[in-house]
Amino acid sequence: MKLDSKVPSGPLESKWEKHLNEINLLAPNNKRKHHVLVVGTGLAGASAAASLAELGYNVTSFCIQDSARRAHSIAAQGGINAAKNYPNDGDTIRRLFNDTIKGGDYRSREANVYRLAQVSNEIIDQAVAQGVPFAREYSGLLDNRSFGGAQVSRTFYARGQTGQQLLLGAYQAMMRMIHAGKIDYQPRKEMLDLVVVDGKARGIITRDLVSGKIERWSGDAVVLCTGGYGNVFYLSTNAKNSNVTAAWRCHKRGAAFANPCYVQIHPTCIPVSGDYQSKLTLMSESLRNDGRVWVPKKKGDERNPNDIPEEERYYYLEERYPSFGNLVPRDVASRNAKMVTDDGMGIGPTGRAVYLDFRDAIDRDGKEAIKAKYGNLFDMYENITGDNPYEQPMRIFPAVHYTMGGLWVDYNLMSNIPGLFVAGEANFSDHGANRLGASALMQGLADGYFVIPYTIGDYIAGNDLAAVSTDDEAFGEAADASAKQLDKLLNVKGDRSVIDFHRELGKIMWDKVGIARNREGLEQAIEEIRSLREEFWKNVRVPGEAGYYNKYLEFAHRVADYFELAELMALDALQRNESCGCHLRDEYQTEDGEAVRNDEEFSFVAAWEYKGLNGKLEAELHKEDLEFEFVELKQRSYK
Amino acid sequence: MPSLVEAATSQVGRKLLTGITGLLLLFFLFFHLAGNLTIFGGEHAMNIYSMTLHDLGWPLWIARIGLALVFIIHAWVGISIWWRRRKARPENYHVYSSKGEPSRQSLSSRSMAITGIILLIFLVFHINTFALGDTGTVLIDGREVSDLKTLVIETFQNPLYAFGYAIIMLLLAAHLGHGIWSSFVSLTMKSRKCSDLMYTIGATVAILLALGFLFIPLYIYFTGGCGAMIAGSQCV
Amino acid sequence: MGGSNMTIHLKIWRQEGPEAEGRFETYTLDQVNEHMSFLEMLDVLNEQLVTEGKLPVEFDYDCREGICGSCNMVINGKAHGPKRLTAVCQLHMRNYSDGDTIVIEPARAAAFPVIRDLVVDRSAFDRIIEAGGYVSVKTGSAPEANTLPVDQFNANKAFDYATCIGCGACVAACPNSSASLFTGAKIAHLNKLPQGQPERKNRVLAMVEQMEKEGFGDCSNFAECEAVCPVGISISAIAEMRRDYMKAMFDDN
Ligand SMILES: Cc1cc2nc3c(=O)[nH]c(=O)nc-3n(C[C@H](O)[C@H](O)[C@H](O)COP(=O)(O)OP(=O)(O)OC[C@H]3O[C@@H](n4cnc5c(N)ncnc54)[C@H](O)[C@@H]3O)c2cc1C
Ligand code: HEM
Ligand code: FES
Repeated sequence: MKLDSKVPSGPLESKWEKHLNEINLLAPNNKRKHHVLVVGTGLAGASAAASLAELGYNVTSFCIQDSARRAHSIAAQGGINAAKNYPNDGDTIRRLFNDTIKGGDYRSREANVYRLAQVSNEIIDQAVAQGVPFAREYSGLLDNRSFGGAQVSRTFYARGQTGQQLLLGAYQAMMRMIHAGKIDYQPRKEMLDLVVVDGKARGIITRDLVSGKIERWSGDAVVLCTGGYGNVFYLSTNAKNSNVTAAWRCHKRGAAFANPCYVQIHPTCIPVSGDYQSKLTLMSESLRNDGRVWVPKKKGDERNPNDIPEEERYYYLEERYPSFGNLVPRDVASRNAKMVTDDGMGIGPTGRAVYLDFRDAIDRDGKEAIKAKYGNLFDMYENITGDNPYEQPMRIFPAVHYTMGGLWVDYNLMSNIPGLFVAGEANFSDHGANRLGASALMQGLADGYFVIPYTIGDYIAGNDLAAVSTDDEAFGEAADASAKQLDKLLNVKGDRSVIDFHRELGKIMWDKVGIARNREGLEQAIEEIRSLREEFWKNVRVPGEAGYYNKYLEFAHRVADYFELAELMALDALQRNESCGCHLRDEYQTEDGEAVRNDEEFSFVAAWEYKGLNGKLEAELHKEDLEFEFVELKQRSYK
Repeated sequence: MPSLVEAATSQVGRKLLTGITGLLLLFFLFFHLAGNLTIFGGEHAMNIYSMTLHDLGWPLWIARIGLALVFIIHAWVGISIWWRRRKARPENYHVYSSKGEPSRQSLSSRSMAITGIILLIFLVFHINTFALGDTGTVLIDGREVSDLKTLVIETFQNPLYAFGYAIIMLLLAAHLGHGIWSSFVSLTMKSRKCSDLMYTIGATVAILLALGFLFIPLYIYFTGGCGAMIAGSQCV
Repeated sequence: MGGSNMTIHLKIWRQEGPEAEGRFETYTLDQVNEHMSFLEMLDVLNEQLVTEGKLPVEFDYDCREGICGSCNMVINGKAHGPKRLTAVCQLHMRNYSDGDTIVIEPARAAAFPVIRDLVVDRSAFDRIIEAGGYVSVKTGSAPEANTLPVDQFNANKAFDYATCIGCGACVAACPNSSASLFTGAKIAHLNKLPQGQPERKNRVLAMVEQMEKEGFGDCSNFAECEAVCPVGISISAIAEMRRDYMKAMFDDN
């Protein structure tokens, strides 16, 4: 497998422009002759589909939900970054680039990240022109806030619904092109396989989620925008339909999977309340600006938190990180919550929670002031938990939130399978080992609006793409394989439900491939995943049939793929003998628990090639070395 | 761009039509009530009023035709809305209930079509009874005019008429209890504050109007036609 | 784990397809935790059904955070259940008591044919947006964002309308199955903003026409839609739509 990042030469600032000057263009009348399949309608997919259709390509757009507007991106809350420097606080493209590279703990590609920062401003222009109602000042001009510990205010936001508003903008752009007849819209269709003809991605296989029909689609290129794989942990903040299936099946067809072990865990989520829990809800990080995180010093202390005196409370973040206190970055906060609860100081019925206390803030600023700032969040918390956070400290716990890993792509966002492009959370491209708040929305839209439309043209113009019929052998083989897999699942007829398996897989992942990892745990995890996978194929019970709407069947094949991905994640975490970003290996930290990165040996992208599966996953590691020409590598410290 | 007819029969157009015609009918009712209340005026007030109207000649006919048109449009559009609703939900809920505030679902709003249709049927009877009814004549200032007043007083001696009318007027109150506010919303009133205020005003007007109308038959019935408020009446 | 358990009786509409006859089936769950969400309670029911070798109840969901608009069902006659400003995925079982019977039906409207059980086809909403619910700005052709100030008041108003999650509860609850709140909200969102001005006439005319074509009923100003809307969109959206429609017809500028 050859991994060529295709990063253009020259100074960082002009790489993208140079590239644009040099790539092949396709005349408008030729664009009309080409067909692009866009899978996914989140920010990345919707923006790509709309933009490609506007350029004249014929686009077919697929998503799992009944409407493109419901893609998981809709749930993003906080905001989207851009280097507009409207507040005049010294932000520049270079600074946004620096922060993103540093935030990713120097495990991302400089050129990609710089381009992201460059196009960030255009995204805001585009969204505003579409009618996205960003927050504004009295002047009528756009407002910004500082987000996730950034030193400048560069985050644009639309109340707590930035993802929703941006997605509706992109969705509406897409609807416009459907109206114009340029997009063939296919909701409730799940991609099950990639069709590769003569080494190039030429089509996909889908299942119609209503009729159950297996369908074949051919095109000149495939753009995969299918989101992240956080649901491998069963519980996460991701939407229930988020999955790895599309990406994983591409991986099995030859696409390299990069950095699968990089998973971001968000520190402030509402904790699990029982076995029936189906998903976790994020509480905005901003709560840590005023809330104080603590646990009782006494293990298993069952007193009402308000009765626990000051000296018996352990404000562990404030004590361990005096200068940042409760505002340490996401990964540090999450890791510490795990440490104290592992030590038995966790609270609540499960022991898997810590307090986030507003008592002092309310005493200091008054209830009204706190209500003005966090009223909505407090209401949401009360609605879900039934507790009143004005009177009782909130209970919070970390939860899986975002996956930085994904299919490997080059500078053109093309995978190592020619014609397979990957955008948004589904690729590995811009966030290294950790993603900054408000940067995923930026990346998804950058990819879809401003990168893919150019680079696909380059690919199509530069390749001879004779039409491929869906009767081609490769389509037949892939369609059969998909149908067989579904049949196989239905015919196990065992006695454990899919959810039960998924829950157990999630527990293995959370305990051993979660916030902190170590060799022993990872090796155990690999064994456990393998044997659970074996049991899954012997004992899963999938109700009903394949010929109609059958949610359990959908979940079953997604879980089957998670079982394979899970092993790869553990392998990847095991090979990475360092701590970087969200990947913390217990063995690689300082005495006082600070992560230790190893730039000498691990400054590379781990791109895995699928080699087969028989009892164990066969995977070969390829390394794309990361070269840093423009930034100086520094060790993070929040002490 | 839709034609004017297409626009008028679009979903928005239909509501504008019910709103406008509903309000026009409401104005007519005010006028009608004022006319009816002349029964409590001087001895001949009601008959003079009726005579003056009839003396108008062709303008009266224009008004009548206009009014009939307004009625027809209102009823036709209203019934068509109701009809479409049955098409739009072929299978009803087995259990259904309103979620309450700020919903305006009420007995009044849910029964607009029924109250409307009853009003329409009533109208036929009503015209038959009074407009086409057999009136005697009476001499006013040497002119022979039809004696509407006596017809009214006689008619409402009949409990069937008196109570029948009263009940219909309650239905009118129900129709307008939602209807007045609703017509303002149809005619694009959007502020929340206005809306709440308008609802109260609308319902109050509806009740007062209906009370005004139903007072007459009941008064006549209970006083046997010789109540003190009716000047110059002779008990029958 | 914490929280008290209760017994809940369920009466759920089961229907195999758009043409199939539907019927109610009754179930009893006796370990319903008060902290469960309503959908988690249905998950538990489904696990029980699957164990018994029966077919699970199909219903739509995705985010389970009240933002994607996938979930949609009518509970004891109320779209999204008893609690105001709450999508059913955000409804918790503590709103019910031990021994309660809960009747669950799909959203019923000719324009939302049943796919299976509680899952309905809401693609009509997409087609309404397709008719004109957008600003026709091509990628790359947008002016600098701050060249177009929007006064805060209108920006906020537009936002209130833009928060629609497209769940279809408005249609489900409306005695007429009208989609006026949904359609009005999108028209009002865009028509309140300067970006929406160039296309405002065509937008309202085309979207209203499409709404009618899809077979939704008329709006009789019941305002039930506002009461069930999980994000509380006001029926003033409908007034905005009517006003814009008239302007589009009669205003020459
Ligand atoms: C609660 C929450 C809050 C967040 N807040 C922020 C924030 O404030 N700022 C920020 O920058 N980021 C935030 N993020 C992260 C961000 O929302 C996501 O990373 C981003 O939206 C992903 O977009 P996407 O287009 O790549 O994929 P998604 O939005 O996940 O879309 C995936 C699409 O692919 C489709 N799909 C998937 N599999 C298949 C298949 N097999 N066949 C067909 N279609 C398929 C789906 O139907 C869907 O349309 C948040 C995330 C969460 C969970
Ligand atoms: C006596 C005279 C009447 C008056 C003053 C009157 C008044 C009104 C008013 C003000 C409205 C509200 C309009 C709106 O919502 O925009 C209304 C609605 C309605 N009227 Fe009447 N009405 C009268 C007679 C009738 C008749 C005869 C019928 C028909 C059969 C009728 C059927 C309806 C219906 C069905 C509605 C509801 C329309 C809807 O659902 O949107 N009304 N009426
Ligand atoms: S599941 Fe997304 S709104 Fe309820």
